[in-house]
Amino acid sequence: MKISLNWLRDYVALDASHDEISRAITFLGFEVEQIIRTGAPKLANVVVGEVLVRDKHPNADKLSVCTVNLGDPLGVKTIVCGAQNYQVGDRVPVALPGAILPGNFEIKQSKIRGQSSDGMMCSAKELGISEDAAGLLILTDRPALGTPINDVLPPGDTVFDIEITPNRPDALSHLGIARELAAWFKLPLLYPQETFRGALPLDEPARPDLLRSVRVDSPEDCPLYTAHILSGIKIGPSPAWLQERLTAVGLRPINNVVDVGNYVMLETGQPLHAFDARKLGGASIVVRRAVAGEKLTTLDGKERVLTPHMLVIADATKPVVIAGIMGGVDSGVSPDTTDLVLECAFFKRQSIRATGKRLGLTSDSAYRYERGVDVHASLEAAYRAIDLILATAGGKVVGPAFHVGSDVPWEREIIVTHDYITEKLGFDIPAADMRAAFEALEFTITREEPTVHPARGPAWTVGIPSWRDDLDRPIDLVEEVLRLYGTDKIPAAVVSSPGLVGDDDPIVRFNRRVTDYLVGHDFNECVTYTLRPAKEIATWVSATAAQELALANPFVEDQSHLRPTLITGLLESLKLNQSRGVAATHLCETGRIFIERNGQNVECAAVGFIIAEPVAQRSWLKREPVDFYAAKHHVAALAAAAGIDLARQPLASGPGPLLGWQEGHSASVGNIDHGWTARFGLLDLAMVKALGIAGKVYAGSFAILPEKITGETARRRYADFSLLPAALRDIALVVDAATPASEVQKTLAKLARAAAATAFALEAVSAFDVYTGPGVPAGKKSLAFSLVFRSAERTLTDEEVNGVFQKVQDEVAATTPWQIRK
Amino acid sequence: MQDTLTALVAKAQPEFAALTTRPEFEAAKARYVGPNGELTALMKQMGTVPKDQRPALGKLINETKTRLQPLLDAALAQIETAELRAQLGPAVDPTLPSPDVGPGTYHPLTLVREEMCRILRKVGFTVADGPEVETEYYCFDALNTPADHPARDAQDTFYLPETAKFANVSKKNPEERYLLRTHTSSVQIRTMLKGEPPIRIVSPGRVYRRDTTDATHSANFHQLECLYVDKNVTVRDLKALLDYIFASLLGKDTKTRFRPHYFGYTEPSFEVDLTATHLPKVKKPWIEIGGCGMVDPTVFADVGYDPEVWSGYAFGMGLERLAMLLYGIDDIRYFYQNDVRFLKQFA
Repeated sequence: MKISLNWLRDYVALDASHDEISRAITFLGFEVEQIIRTGAPKLANVVVGEVLVRDKHPNADKLSVCTVNLGDPLGVKTIVCGAQNYQVGDRVPVALPGAILPGNFEIKQSKIRGQSSDGMMCSAKELGISEDAAGLLILTDRPALGTPINDVLPPGDTVFDIEITPNRPDALSHLGIARELAAWFKLPLLYPQETFRGALPLDEPARPDLLRSVRVDSPEDCPLYTAHILSGIKIGPSPAWLQERLTAVGLRPINNVVDVGNYVMLETGQPLHAFDARKLGGASIVVRRAVAGEKLTTLDGKERVLTPHMLVIADATKPVVIAGIMGGVDSGVSPDTTDLVLECAFFKRQSIRATGKRLGLTSDSAYRYERGVDVHASLEAAYRAIDLILATAGGKVVGPAFHVGSDVPWEREIIVTHDYITEKLGFDIPAADMRAAFEALEFTITREEPTVHPARGPAWTVGIPSWRDDLDRPIDLVEEVLRLYGTDKIPAAVVSSPGLVGDDDPIVRFNRRVTDYLVGHDFNECVTYTLRPAKEIATWVSATAAQELALANPFVEDQSHLRPTLITGLLESLKLNQSRGVAATHLCETGRIFIERNGQNVECAAVGFIIAEPVAQRSWLKREPVDFYAAKHHVAALAAAAGIDLARQPLASGPGPLLGWQEGHSASVGNIDHGWTARFGLLDLAMVKALGIAGKVYAGSFAILPEKITGETARRRYADFSLLPAALRDIALVVDAATPASEVQKTLAKLARAAAATAFALEAVSAFDVYTGPGVPAGKKSLAFSLVFRSAERTLTDEEVNGVFQKVQDEVAATTPWQIRK
Repeated sequence: MQDTLTALVAKAQPEFAALTTRPEFEAAKARYVGPNGELTALMKQMGTVPKDQRPALGKLINETKTRLQPLLDAALAQIETAELRAQLGPAVDPTLPSPDVGPGTYHPLTLVREEMCRILRKVGFTVADGPEVETEYYCFDALNTPADHPARDAQDTFYLPETAKFANVSKKNPEERYLLRTHTSSVQIRTMLKGEPPIRIVSPGRVYRRDTTDATHSANFHQLECLYVDKNVTVRDLKALLDYIFASLLGKDTKTRFRPHYFGYTEPSFEVDLTATHLPKVKKPWIEIGGCGMVDPTVFADVGYDPEVWSGYAFGMGLERLAMLLYGIDDIRYFYQNDVRFLKQFA
């Protein structure tokens, strides 16, 4: 909120500089967002002078050389001036050597085009009082010569735009901020003194014709409602001082009554509302919930349809105000209003907040009620407003006055010890300073007594004022003491660092490991948005995922769903790079994805990558293009980082196509139902092309339930290995083109192991050739494997190996549909 | 005979020196010392020589053999050298660029996060993690955020539909809604509920606010929070941690200051400013960098820690903001676009 320094000075005699005040506000816990200055700053060595002579400068067409009289004792000066708007005899501001004008512009004795000049005659802009730089500021009031310029110019103001934290509604007013600054600068706080104190004049007859009754039907929303009648007032413009105050803090003056309402709200924090008494049907006020379907056109010109959740102020028949938020156009004060009903009430914050939210409506009044108004200061504010209305609009207070609701006296005490505060702070502030801080904030110390350890300071019983509802525990007072002591004075210390109490979370370690791997393999790590469009998920993942992963309240359409994959985000980044002509081929990301399974979602830790063909880039040296098996290799490494050996997993290239992946060129393994899942291979060519991406894109992803990454891997055991030579035998088999190599490999391994039995070991069976073409029938392929045998005890002889190998071949011929290729 | 042998050596010498390939070498070797070689033929004549001359002749032949061997060795060495040289192509131009992609790069947010985690690890903080889909309890209730607090509004927080089910995100109360966490403080709650004090954790992670995306706002961004729970933890300890963190990150001359502030889950609460005029694009003397405070006793009570026994502090900051400050980046969207020209600048 905007706080005027001139206004603050009504309550506290601040003579500190703007910077000091700004710093005080900051360290009291309120953020100063902006400092706005109006009027002239303090200007030394700038005085009133009169132009006696104006001669053309001998060496410059646009300059004049003037003789300027500054009166006694400054005398007559010669000043070179470039302005054109003045005449001999005009009185103008003159800045003399030593003056510092806004912008840190120091005036010096100088020579201008060979003509010496004793100072400068100033424009309004040069003095910092307006943007007017058209010419000199002519002082038409002809103030006395030599008068310091600040005595002539209007004083100006400084406005602090302050952000008030939600716990401090008491600071949403000039008095509230003045109270804080008075405490900080150790100055007394002067409250406004009301003349009207609630006593109705005995010589004026009551006017029940203006207001007959006030009834509160909804006391849970409105614990206190007061109404006073002011009769015979005259609506007109506010006096200059009042207009100036409101203008300074950004409010537009309207008329004396409305302006007083705003002024008192900005002074005390208590919102007020004035009705034209004539417009209250039945001369009555009912505070009630709206009836469904009731309508009210509010001051902003909008018709509002009300619901039974909303609290309204109604007359005998209809709502006239949305309570605490905004008045209706028909019941407010107009230029011909003569009799007023002044409302000063307390509405519950929940009620105001809920209504404001439903209507999408807020106001200065609603803002304060939402955060909490001090019900115990409501009447004071009403009296203050009555004083000011009587002073600015005339009239008189007449009966009856209404005061509906219980006014439970405020009482709150917190017991806190010096020792407790010291213990929480970790450094000592003298007990006297603590006590002084409480008192400066107008907390009452009702008791001070020694504790069981008198040396550690006293215990205080601290009475909390009604406007500080945010304080109710000893810890809250620690903050108050520290605020006033100054948080910039917390002494330095060394961080104590005992041993680690744990290790990094396994997911964190997994993410690090896979990122290290991928970056080590030339990937650029990316970060993409979690929220993705529904259409993309339906296209790339599944229609059910596009349903189940929807947010209830997306903000924009293309960020409406949780991502079920990292691949689409990476593709988007790839596309961006391609469209900018930037070489990008290897992109990766780690992050959370969300997988839908049978109507339930799971949050997974995931890592994904894409490898794109370099399309636009040419190179003087060609490399082998990337392929499916590169993606497989990387995914195996990522799975290994989570302790999963992909070689032991059944790899499926089906059944059926995987959405987004090219059939016959991609594979999936694992199942999130069992904790993890991986996919890799070529992305669907047509879908990638449809995104506007050029070239083939290979990709891989691995996702795991966070709870499955335990970080505890079983300690590996060393296995003995033979130092003797191995014996190799090769075998090529003609098999159906669709037969997976792993099936053949496993069968061969099983047969070879059986054949070698306990004589020696089969060390490996590995594919080294895949062939189709002449010599192999159509629909078949030839797979060649190398069998490695080895013994731990001896060098194997050809005979024994041949014997075993023959058995393997016999078994293949006898038990499998495969032909041995000779 | 002597002459024959000398002539043989003399003939072999230039022949051997001219050998360039292994087959040539083998053939030449065979011609002289092979089973049908000239020297072998001479040796075979030994039987025709009178007995008394045989030792002398044998000696002569051996000498010749000994003289031929180094010639053969030299020829072989020469051939091997030539063979190795043949494996080489023409000399490389070291100024030509490698056609391989890379090197790989870590994202700047990863670099900043890991640097912060390392700094914190040195003083006993380990990294904790938690779900990004959260519930109202862990994100708000347990952090002393009242039910009608504006931060919980559907205007500011992303919610999942009431029917949504997340099998691996636990709810405290069956009727509470799932949401996307608005801060990583929910990890603090889960960690406290799961473990026992003392606790020293840092929780970096992705958080969500229902916000317009522009140069300084993003629907998702990253935070990093520290939580320390122990006996006798003080405001001064908190200040010491912040001084330590930013001196480690930005240099010894970096200063921090606390400004009193308000957060529901800490009391007292502060905003943290730092001096960073040596960083790029920093013009203000004090830069706001995060929020912190002493854990509110209400929060401890809610997770079952006795506030009379345990005390602690928490500190949180935005990672994008920190990275922007450190590197002088002026648009938060660059972090999410992944223009490779951007990514390569931080490796």
